[in-house]
Amino acid sequence: MSDQNATLGLSSVDRSGLRGMVSARVGTWLLIAIALCLPMVVGGSWVFALGVCFANAIGVLSVSVLVRYGGEVSIGHTFFSAVGAYTVAILDTRYGIPLWFSVPLALAFGVVAGILFAWPSRRLSGIYLAVSTLALALAVPEIINNADSLTGGYEGLYVSKPLVPGVKMSLQRYYAALAVLLAVTYGLSRLRHSRQGLTLLLAKSHPAAADAFGTRRVWARIAVMGISGGIAALCGAMLAFAGSTVSPSGFTFWAAIFLLVGSVVSVYGLTFPRALIGGAFLTLIPQFLSASGAWIPVLYGVALLGVILAGHYLPQLTQAMGRRKGGA
Amino acid sequence: MSGLLQDLFPLVWSGMITGCLYALGALGLVMIFKCSKVVNFSHGNVAGFAAFLIYGFSSGVLLELSWGAAVLLTILAVIAIAFLTYAIVSPLVFESDLTATIATLGIGLIAQGATLLIFGADIVSLDLPVPRFSTAVLGLRITGYDLTVLAVAVVTIGALFFVIDFTKLGIAFRAISENPFAAEVCGLNLRSVHLFAWIVAAILGVVGALLIVPTTFLSVTTVAAFMLQAFAAAVIGGFASLPGALVGGILVGVLMNLFTFYVSPEYSSTFLLGLILLALNIFPNGILARVEGFRV
Amino acid sequence: MDVLTNALTGQGISLSFGGIKVLKGLDVSFRAGEITGLIGPNGAGKTSLFNCLTGAYSPQEGQIAFAGQSLDGLSPAARASKGIVRSFQHVALSPDLTVLENVMIGVARNHDTGWLNAFLPLPRGCAERAEMERAAMGALADLGLADAAHSLPDALPPGMLRLVEIARAIVGKPDVLLLDEPAAGLNNSETRDLMQTLQKLRSGGLVMVVVEHDMDLVMSICDRIYVLNFGEFVACGAPDEVRRDPDVIRIYLGSDDD
Ligand SMILES: Nc1ncnc2c1ncn2[C@@H]1O[C@H](COP(=O)(O)OP(=O)(O)O)[C@@H](O)[C@H]1O
Ligand SMILES: [Mg+2]
Repeated sequence: MSDQNATLGLSSVDRSGLRGMVSARVGTWLLIAIALCLPMVVGGSWVFALGVCFANAIGVLSVSVLVRYGGEVSIGHTFFSAVGAYTVAILDTRYGIPLWFSVPLALAFGVVAGILFAWPSRRLSGIYLAVSTLALALAVPEIINNADSLTGGYEGLYVSKPLVPGVKMSLQRYYAALAVLLAVTYGLSRLRHSRQGLTLLLAKSHPAAADAFGTRRVWARIAVMGISGGIAALCGAMLAFAGSTVSPSGFTFWAAIFLLVGSVVSVYGLTFPRALIGGAFLTLIPQFLSASGAWIPVLYGVALLGVILAGHYLPQLTQAMGRRKGGA
Repeated sequence: MSGLLQDLFPLVWSGMITGCLYALGALGLVMIFKCSKVVNFSHGNVAGFAAFLIYGFSSGVLLELSWGAAVLLTILAVIAIAFLTYAIVSPLVFESDLTATIATLGIGLIAQGATLLIFGADIVSLDLPVPRFSTAVLGLRITGYDLTVLAVAVVTIGALFFVIDFTKLGIAFRAISENPFAAEVCGLNLRSVHLFAWIVAAILGVVGALLIVPTTFLSVTTVAAFMLQAFAAAVIGGFASLPGALVGGILVGVLMNLFTFYVSPEYSSTFLLGLILLALNIFPNGILARVEGFRV
Repeated sequence: MDVLTNALTGQGISLSFGGIKVLKGLDVSFRAGEITGLIGPNGAGKTSLFNCLTGAYSPQEGQIAFAGQSLDGLSPAARASKGIVRSFQHVALSPDLTVLENVMIGVARNHDTGWLNAFLPLPRGCAERAEMERAAMGALADLGLADAAHSLPDALPPGMLRLVEIARAIVGKPDVLLLDEPAAGLNNSETRDLMQTLQKLRSGGLVMVVVEHDMDLVMSICDRIYVLNFGEFVACGAPDEVRRDPDVIRIYLGSDDD
């Protein structure tokens, strides 16, 4: 089981040499520079959409982290993003607490929620875990709707408190989401080289070996779910702030599946550009297709299959091509 | 006391009826999982698409056929979809069962989008030609619909178990789900057995969808939502056991009914979540299974 | 007898899987300062015994103790933190990590910086990483693998991966080192280097047990040898005694190696 989990179609990705790494780094910095300057160039509706795109990119990262470090797939991450979103929204609307305090709190709640879910599901893996996350996603809209005295029920809540008074709100929404996305990708790049990151990666592909070197697999699972839940909560927090409203319709079962779609489309990447691809996929495609919404699931489905099939057949194809070239 | 019984019997009865439907859905999921090691997330959406096809073929939206012809044509369509899904998914399984499972999500999304594109987001009604009557037995109201569901479920599931226990194909299915490698060595044709499982599952899905729709109306999400309970049923049954799926289905049907009546109708999905987590932890391999070790 | 008290001992270890007895009441005592060989045909139960000692399997009967302290009921991770470390017969390296990083995991249990250090460039975390890297580099260099430090496992031949596996086991300065077929897949010169490395590791405090099919290696580096067959010890003693033991000769003439 575990050894199968290790290969979620990840082989042959991210194995490029040093030159590739350098050019990737330059590309990332360029992308960050563009993202920083974009609001000066594009119109207001774009600034709004991009802010939401950054928030969704964080959500995509939360799913990808679980795949990369846990070897597990979740189709229920809207639960954790809802935790973050409603933390921010409730603190804002009911108590007037601004983002400076609510975002760290949302992160903490997300981590705790991740751990609380991981504990009862600690022995599950593969499809069993995936199905229990599915149940998690199903429960979310129901819980939100029923706790309407706190969550505003069906109508939701409007987040309006500025982060920095005096600065244009649309810019705040954009830059706050971008800043959190950058912080998350930076944190994840550190994690990859940390002691905890190394042991988690070993526990993913060889749990028995990790056990033998002092990393209990239950610890590994709980740690990964905590990290993933925390990041998802940050996604929710930023969705609330950058998107200005939170309502149960943003945290449906389908939204959870879309997060997974974004993660697959970004090939489970944890870098800033990859996360942006996933986030853009989730945000900008509905934007373009807003007139014909029925095409959205079709397009997502096709993209999902396309990426998976490409991941499966491309290596074989290039191999065959190489062989032909060698023979000629 | 008698009041309790008065409520309890009808609740258990109607829970069993819906439970049979969950079991039909769950059996399809388990059939596929047993041989292909894939959780077919497209099951609900494809079955929902099928229900819409029957509606479209019989109501004049697409064609104007009799009910039986519409069902037949739909089953053909669903078999074609099963073929296609299997063709896409089966090569991926060798890479990772999770990747293959995610691919079925993609197919489910496409099925849902296709339903929306062809039939729109409106609610339609699709009736089942069942005898309309109801009698009271020991204070229990039993309707023609109840008996139809029960009869169809018993016949379908009985036929399925018969096929699996006594026909050559069924024996091959059991052999392959026990050990694909050994089965192949013995010269069994993996592909045809897999296709058998996928097709049977698809037909079970259509039957389940047909039976569930009369209790509500038909919308894009009706059947998909119903299939989620079937997921719970399959999980509780251990996902790899056909009798487990049956027991799981009835258990979910009855428990959900009792919960919504006695505790809260608003938290039924949350209850389902709790049920799944509980079942998975107490019986990691299903309520009817033994526990196995791992190997270093 | 200080040496004896620091031994890894097992008494009456019995293990079975579904009615099949894999280990039949084994009594073992692996002493510190010695290299003990554990030999026997395939399927004899050598790996299973290691799994029992490290806690990966729970034997149905028997007690296991290290330095007089019982290990029964302890998880593999808890035993690892007591300095009991193993290598795996089937190489178990993470394909996502470089060779150096894989070896760094061998010292992870000696470090304990918190989670903040994992995400932020705090001085303690950076120092810890540098320290782990230095130790891992040292172990790799000892095994002649320094050049491969930054490669991914997929890019290396199997023999080298086995040495990486051993590097990961020895880098954390264990008190008990259990090596499962360390020389499988190595060529002659690599095997010779490995023998030298193991000899160098021999120290007063270390319990070292080697499961190996290469008889030259076992006979030349081991102080004592246990011979396991069908879950039972058929012989135990110094290499010369074991070599002459009629039962052992019979077992090994029956099988194809040696
Ligand atoms: N997890 C397990 N489940 C069932 N049988 C096992 C398991 N682990 C080992 N065995 C059996 O135990 C016996 C000894 O295996 P092993 O310890 O690997 O032998 P060796 O390492 O000496 O070659 C073999 O017959 C093997 O099939
Ligand atoms: Mg072995």
